Amino acid sequence: MKWVFAGAFVLLCLLAIPAYRGSHDPVTAGKTRIVWISDDNPVRKGQIELFNKTHPSIELKIDPTNAGMEKVIVQSLAGVGPDLFDCYNPFQLSAYVRAGIAADITDDMLKAGVDVGKIIWPAVKVTCVRDERAYGFPCNAACDAVWFNKKLFEEARIPYPDHQMTWDELIALAKRLTVREADGRAKQFGLLCDWWQWQSFIAMWGGSIFSADGSQCVVDSPEAIAAVQFLHDLIYVHKVMPSPADEASATQGGWGSGTISFFSGDKGAMAFGGRWWLCTLRMSKDLRSGVMPAPFGPGGVYRGYGRSTLVSANSKNRAAALEFMKYLAGPDYNQLLNDQGDALAPVPAYCQGERFLHNPEYPQETDNQVWADAMAKGVPDQVSPYVNGNLANRILTKQLDLVKNDQKTAADALRSAAKRINEEIAKGRAMAAAAGVAGRAGTAEKTGGRP
Amino acid sequence: MFSLVVSATNWSLTREEPFRFVGLANFAQLFGDKEFWQYFINTGYLMLGMPIAIAGSLCLALLLSQKLRGVVIYRTMFYLPSFTSGVALLILWKALYNPQFGPINAALGPIFQWFGGQAPEWLLSTKNLLGLHAEDIRLVWAQFGLGARDAMIFMGIWISIGGSNMLLYLAGLSNIPQELFEAAQIDGAGPWATFRHVTWPQLAPTTFFILVMSFIGGLQGGFESARVLTAGGPAGTTTTLAYYIYTKAFEEFQIGYASAVSWVLFIIIAVVTLLNWKFGSRETNDA
Amino acid sequence: MKETTATTSGRSGEWWFRKGRFGVSHLALCLLALTTLTPFLWMVLASFKHVSEIEGNLNPFPKVWHPENYAQVFKQIHFARYYFNSIFVAAWVTVLQTLTSAMAAFAFARLRWPRRDQVFKLYLFTLMVPGVVTMIPNYTLMVKLGLLDSYIGLIVPASFSAFGTFLLRQFMMGIPRALDEAAAIDGATHWRTFWDVILPLARPGLVTLAIFTFMGTYGSFFWPLVLIKSDALRTLPIGMLYFDSVYGKQTNLIMAASVMNITPLIILFVSTQKFLVKGIQLGAVKG
Repeated sequence: MKWVFAGAFVLLCLLAIPAYRGSHDPVTAGKTRIVWISDDNPVRKGQIELFNKTHPSIELKIDPTNAGMEKVIVQSLAGVGPDLFDCYNPFQLSAYVRAGIAADITDDMLKAGVDVGKIIWPAVKVTCVRDERAYGFPCNAACDAVWFNKKLFEEARIPYPDHQMTWDELIALAKRLTVREADGRAKQFGLLCDWWQWQSFIAMWGGSIFSADGSQCVVDSPEAIAAVQFLHDLIYVHKVMPSPADEASATQGGWGSGTISFFSGDKGAMAFGGRWWLCTLRMSKDLRSGVMPAPFGPGGVYRGYGRSTLVSANSKNRAAALEFMKYLAGPDYNQLLNDQGDALAPVPAYCQGERFLHNPEYPQETDNQVWADAMAKGVPDQVSPYVNGNLANRILTKQLDLVKNDQKTAADALRSAAKRINEEIAKGRAMAAAAGVAGRAGTAEKTGGRP
Repeated sequence: MFSLVVSATNWSLTREEPFRFVGLANFAQLFGDKEFWQYFINTGYLMLGMPIAIAGSLCLALLLSQKLRGVVIYRTMFYLPSFTSGVALLILWKALYNPQFGPINAALGPIFQWFGGQAPEWLLSTKNLLGLHAEDIRLVWAQFGLGARDAMIFMGIWISIGGSNMLLYLAGLSNIPQELFEAAQIDGAGPWATFRHVTWPQLAPTTFFILVMSFIGGLQGGFESARVLTAGGPAGTTTTLAYYIYTKAFEEFQIGYASAVSWVLFIIIAVVTLLNWKFGSRETNDA
Repeated sequence: MKETTATTSGRSGEWWFRKGRFGVSHLALCLLALTTLTPFLWMVLASFKHVSEIEGNLNPFPKVWHPENYAQVFKQIHFARYYFNSIFVAAWVTVLQTLTSAMAAFAFARLRWPRRDQVFKLYLFTLMVPGVVTMIPNYTLMVKLGLLDSYIGLIVPASFSAFGTFLLRQFMMGIPRALDEAAAIDGATHWRTFWDVILPLARPGLVTLAIFTFMGTYGSFFWPLVLIKSDALRTLPIGMLYFDSVYGKQTNLIMAASVMNITPLIILFVSTQKFLVKGIQLGAVKG
């Protein structure tokens, strides 16, 4: 028995030699390596290659597996964090800033001639600028429009849409384009929309989740209720959109969300989505699609969303990380991104002109102007400093699940959600107030000259 | 122990306010937290499959303890679900439960239709066999049916029935002295009487051990399946206490509160185990 | 087991009765095996499909077989490296945990020291602390020790186990005390008794624990997920997530990777399962 254990140890120690030898990924000599935590969307590869080509002294590496706020925060605080990481919404930005791991790069960027807050699409400013200080730069910007499948329109002998419709017109059209089998199961839907887009509908209807100063949750406003009820009715009253069960059948495999694979698989005639769908849609060679502006809701605006990359305050290679920020603001990246179709370039100046409107590689994509026009009408998300965004999100998701499953009306669900979130806000404000008092007491103590 | 201290603080990863001790406030908040109670009930509901799984393991062990040809193959097949690492298995089940194209509904659909009903929507539905309300702690008829929680239960039974519990029972069976069976045979006892008076009492320690471990596992369980299959939904119906702790700590950064929840969970587990222990050792002594 | 005694029976009626019962048993086992096996068959078949064939399709067989999926797995991720890491880490943990558990079990089962059984009960209580609770302090500890993103961080915390100690203690309790008393009379130290008397006799228990540990570590998900940062240190369950990201769900490749993932475990199980059943001797849980 002794020998069994001794043998095992010797064997394992021998194995440890190749294990350790292989575990270090050597940096190319003379280069500075910076690590970027982002998702592994295939277009990221091209973006990184271009950066590394134009910056020979830097080696940018992507790390898709450590995404997630908690990991970024914990690893950064522990000193093993990345140099660059992504931020998807204003709540994340405020969490990163408050945790002290997002670096203020306002002045560095100004020195390089880039005024971050001024040159980007206003709707995505909230993902990288807070209290007029910049912590990063947006990677892209998106507002949604309506995709349509030309083949399905032709089959139904309906002319392609050529103007901005009202929602009533669109629903009437969607009903004509919904095809059901004998047992009632839908073969083709008139309109597709990801359920998480409810936020877009609330924005389009002129509502919001939080009041402008973040002191109150206003998701139970009549506008917001009407918007969610509208989304519900698309499924259960007009019956032009997939129910949760229909939708689940599309999420087993393939690229992109279920809705995108439905659309590219000719199972939906129209779909509410962004330009970033192009990354996936281009892979379906047989798909012929067009884009029309989404009908206006009562608010006359669209929800803007996007993704920013922030610089870590604990980065040891800040200069190199700043080079990446400048790259994001420059023409190389902006044009590449527009060509790749991962939503719109963050700088509006590059979203115009022949180079943007007609990509010679994809001559069939003739509707690029629609995206730029929609983006100009984008409004940003509101957040509240008093409540954790993930918590608010969980409360909302829970209630909206009930609406989606037709178990609760939009009004009931949103009222319970608003009530719960307002409770949390009250708690957060009380804590903030107490902390303010405690903070002052602390400084008083210090100035009092105690040992 | 560290976490007991933490549970008395307002520690939050984002340092939104200065770190300080809040005493028992986290615990006080917890008992008024409706969500906590809902998830407590979820955890309990998901454990309903436990006795079936244990009984199933015992039946399998009884069948396998006979001198049959191919026992090795059977055993391996039953143990198969325990090999497969969590994520792949869960993705597999997600596909099986697909309401329209999943093999389960493909097989069951006609039966439900024959009774004039609709095939269940499994992971997407808040329904359950007890008719628990999705939000409040009460029963409603409209919620009666098969939903996400039941899907979790069936999956749990499938995974655990041939797993280590079966092996434990097999081991227990092989440790029963042969003379006892011979004596029973001489007394003219039939198979059921033999089981009732010889096998079952002799297996009591094993059953007891399995019960304790299953309780501990069940109360702590539901984390991976919630994370991969449903994200705790729909409408929080598959959120167990373990998953709630995780979301509170790592998504909402309220580590203090999360620690308080974990300590309550720990106390529940400890009490249940001690009760089991007391009850169980009496049983064992009787045998 | 009980049937073995009756094979000498010459009466043909009884013979037929037994034959019939075996038949029923086989039938029941086959049906049950079918339910555990079907999902795996689905998995194997899906691993040969094109990704577009997996969704929205009731046909279990691929239209065109794609064995190149397996090559794709190696091409898209460092699968061989993850394979090596998983086995390497699991082997280390297995050896260390078996050894530490055996030593602790020896102390609890054989040595006499004050309040031994109380300490043992306390030890068992650590089983009940929810994993999510210990994770946060464990993680902080790893950060402090600079063991984040290292093999040691994966191996050392997993090398001590209350479950293993419990399992082995129960086993050692079953070893006749006369043996080590004889050794003591011969003048053997505790150390020698442990190595030369108890360990060889506890072999089935050691093998059982080793297998449980190996399987558990091989498939462990959450700890490596939070601890490991670099690609070269990833284990299989983490590496496989690559195929299930937001941007690309390559279900066929996940299935191919899983098939390869479980193959070593199946081989291990089949080759050692003789020991498994012998190794579990629970006895009475009380001290």
